[in-house]
Amino acid sequence: MTTKFKFLFILTVISAFSAEAQISSSLSPIHLSGMVYDVKTHIGLPAASIAVKGTATGVQSDQDGHYTLTVNRGAIRIHCEYLGYISMDTLLMLSGNRTFDLPLKPSSRALAQVNIQAVTSVRKEIATQNLAIIEGSELERTRGLSLGDALKSVTGVTTFQTGPSISKPVIHGLTGTRVLILNNGVSLQAQQWGQEHAPEIDPFIANQIQVIKGAAGIRYGADAIAGVVSVHPKQLPTDTGTMDGEINAVGMTNSRLGAFSAMLEGALGKKLAGFSYRLQGTVKRSGNTSTPNYILGNTGIREDDFSASLQYHHKNYGIEGYYSNFNTKLGIEYDTEVGSITDLQQKIAIGHPVTYYDFTYNIDRPYQTVNHSTAKIRGFLNTSDSSKLELQYSYQVNTRQEYEQLSFSTSLAPAIYLQIHTSAAELNYEHHDGGGFSGSLGLSGMNQGNIRMYGYLIPNYVDYDGGAYVIEKFTHRKWLFEAGARYDYRWLRAFAFDANEAKINTTTTSYSGISATAGATYHLTDNLKLSGNYSAAFRPPSINELYIDGVHQSIGEFEVGDANLKTERANDFSLNLNYASNWFLVDLQGYYNQISDFIFEEPTNQYYHAQSGALLKFQYTQANVYFRGADLNLTIKPVDSLEINSKTAFIYAWNQSIHDYLIYTPPTRLQNGLNYHFGTWGIFHNISAGAENIYVARQTHVPTGYDFAPAPAAYSLYNAHLDFRLPINNTYVDFDIAVNNLTNVAYKDYLDRFRYFADEPGRNIIFRLRMPFKILSNNK
Amino acid sequence: MTKTMMKTKHAVYALLGTALFYASCSSKSEQAVAPNIANETITQASLKLTNEANAGDTTSCTYTFHVDNNGNVTSTDSTALILKANSKYDVKVYMLDQTQSPVFVVSNEIKDRQNYHLFFYQPTPINVAPVISNTSPYIPGTPVSQLNPLNLTIARTDHDTNNPPLEVGLTALFTTGAASTGNLRWILRHQPNAKNGTFAPGSSDLDVNFVTTIK
Repeated sequence: MTTKFKFLFILTVISAFSAEAQISSSLSPIHLSGMVYDVKTHIGLPAASIAVKGTATGVQSDQDGHYTLTVNRGAIRIHCEYLGYISMDTLLMLSGNRTFDLPLKPSSRALAQVNIQAVTSVRKEIATQNLAIIEGSELERTRGLSLGDALKSVTGVTTFQTGPSISKPVIHGLTGTRVLILNNGVSLQAQQWGQEHAPEIDPFIANQIQVIKGAAGIRYGADAIAGVVSVHPKQLPTDTGTMDGEINAVGMTNSRLGAFSAMLEGALGKKLAGFSYRLQGTVKRSGNTSTPNYILGNTGIREDDFSASLQYHHKNYGIEGYYSNFNTKLGIEYDTEVGSITDLQQKIAIGHPVTYYDFTYNIDRPYQTVNHSTAKIRGFLNTSDSSKLELQYSYQVNTRQEYEQLSFSTSLAPAIYLQIHTSAAELNYEHHDGGGFSGSLGLSGMNQGNIRMYGYLIPNYVDYDGGAYVIEKFTHRKWLFEAGARYDYRWLRAFAFDANEAKINTTTTSYSGISATAGATYHLTDNLKLSGNYSAAFRPPSINELYIDGVHQSIGEFEVGDANLKTERANDFSLNLNYASNWFLVDLQGYYNQISDFIFEEPTNQYYHAQSGALLKFQYTQANVYFRGADLNLTIKPVDSLEINSKTAFIYAWNQSIHDYLIYTPPTRLQNGLNYHFGTWGIFHNISAGAENIYVARQTHVPTGYDFAPAPAAYSLYNAHLDFRLPINNTYVDFDIAVNNLTNVAYKDYLDRFRYFADEPGRNIIFRLRMPFKILSNNK
Repeated sequence: MTKTMMKTKHAVYALLGTALFYASCSSKSEQAVAPNIANETITQASLKLTNEANAGDTTSCTYTFHVDNNGNVTSTDSTALILKANSKYDVKVYMLDQTQSPVFVVSNEIKDRQNYHLFFYQPTPINVAPVISNTSPYIPGTPVSQLNPLNLTIARTDHDTNNPPLEVGLTALFTTGAASTGNLRWILRHQPNAKNGTFAPGSSDLDVNFVTTIK
């Protein structure tokens, strides 16, 4: 009995853990709720006292044993007492609203107090895979950055850039269509294949960003063979009759970026109890970015985003509507257009822009405009105490227009116009049986249509996707076992304009594949666990890999697709070791991702003779490759107020078919920092200061003949920040002052396509302000 | 409710949902493929030459780009340039975009945007090292050879409205020496807000080569 209680408890509490989660942060208060019940009978215990130790916060459970506490984020110690039962003392690490049940044992059974560590219980779709989380103050310190840049604090994640304005996330060396991005549960469907197509998400909507590092096709379908980035907004409020707001403002000295985001949310009361809503909007403007020695012409950004959600929640069912609109105009650095390889070689030889520009907010050709709107409706039904049915339908429209630099034409039209419509439906059923089994099964379907105008790059197409999956978990004693399988089918019909004869060529292809996962977690101690996971996933060739034919803001390249490409298949093995104690956290992930028929661009020895000169032809082809590497994350808290963090990521990628390295493999990256919490000084509260060093090695493992220039040298950057909180009336304002690239180092990054032309940005001083405020509070 | 009943119910929901979903999406707009329209393209670039000594003695050379329906170049052809020895020729640039209707005279538009454009003319191999300066029509970095030179010297003869005015190269003066053969490389640089008379700023819009015979 005793052991059963113990393991059940451990499993409930340590249901998920990630060392990358915040160790402590004190932001807006959050809700902790749950049920106090008799561990044997599962009957709720009324009027049990639940208190936060060391504070005056405490409540009594209601007649069913339920309780709700408003607590601060970070570490809290919960004490629960009930007459005739053994009191319980639990240490919780909280970074968001969560449910925490308190099973009490009758005192007749002698049992010592239980001390348990737990980090925010995150619902992990794949329990045995590594999940990294950015939230709290760590997330606050990325405000104003693009989604790609915000993710760089996750070990093993970096960005693939096109100058300072465009960045795409790279997970374990892979990017583009191989990384799935979820915006509030909806998989982002845009033109992800483009190297300079950044994800269309406003990071200000995020309250938490989760990153699955590993093949996650099992839950998210084809494509997610490298990982998943999931942007989660805050849960809608549930306190009836309340209305709250929050303002975020960011200013940066480099690029003179100004970003302003405002949010209004509330829960209706009385007859409309159960309804809650949120409105959120962001405006962002930035101008030309400066490197230490010169200004990069035409690198401004304009962004206007809006989102709204409305939900109705009943105890056992609920429905949520969500709409978001993302609108951006991105300047592309002048002087990066090359007519030919000769042009490019001359620019590489110079190594910096020939013309120096002044600062301006104006965005001129070449530029991109992208609009992405997402609408979704999601409903859930608790089919029993331990099972839940969810249904989601979403519709997305992505309109991308790319305006090239014009030499002599008076045209106002874009070079390329692409509009993609996607509707998707998902059905998911989740259950948690008493016997240690839990899992989910579901169906998903998607329909996509692409329409193009102006210049030709990729054809119009229609795509139908369908998938079905099942994932089951079984927990027994110190073990968690997991297994799942999924089947996906894709039907793709492309309507290409025949290049030689003026007619439409219709090509239909279909792809199908099985994704699978199998894994286990073993809890060696309460603090230490070991997980192993094997995931098989596949990715059908994307539209550009099949049919691209032309030059696409690329650099001296003419790309040719291959309509006969097969799906690529990933076999991803990963091993995770997690240790967490009060003062020491370790998260170590080792992985080996073998991809058969990996699709990539191979330089041919042929040249395409454009009017502007010769361009090297690149042909899409397939080979067997593997990626292996390790991510190590260490956090040490020698004293409560000091936090030392060290992150190391290294990766090795090899093309087994041609016996050479893979291009654009991220070089070894080290990030070491410390953060000190000073507490309160006068009117300044929660003062904390920190500094970090980022060291990126030179990539020496480069394939021959793929790149136009050698990989740039290693670089070392210093960043520093100071945060504090000023109480104002009934609320407070959080301030953050940060300096990136403190020493103003001129450097180039291997994963920036514009490294041929210019340096990376120089010193940037960033001012951030965040102010939550209450408009209505319920009368308790 | 028993488990099996639950499962059946879920399966029904699922099928219903999927069916509804597939019924809801059918679009024919993807099949109406829009034509491929490039904002700008060059299909023909010519040099028209007139002998200064005899206005009736004209010659020309033309480089033609054949483009497919995707706007990509499928093949090119060029005519040779044949010049008389020890002569001076007035040269005019004539460029067309024949994919547009009516045919778009690119060289006229370049004249309108002359402050952003600069032509370079490079005989290769060249007999003497050309003086690469801000006023040179020669392309920096071109190898110099003393053997079998093409005896052609070039000077641009027009100026833009920059302050101070810079050369353009829509017109030029070709001076030939003794009989020889070689190539004439002809480049148009597009240098928006960056033109300074040199080759480096901007990017190439045109980069072609004519087999040249001086006899």
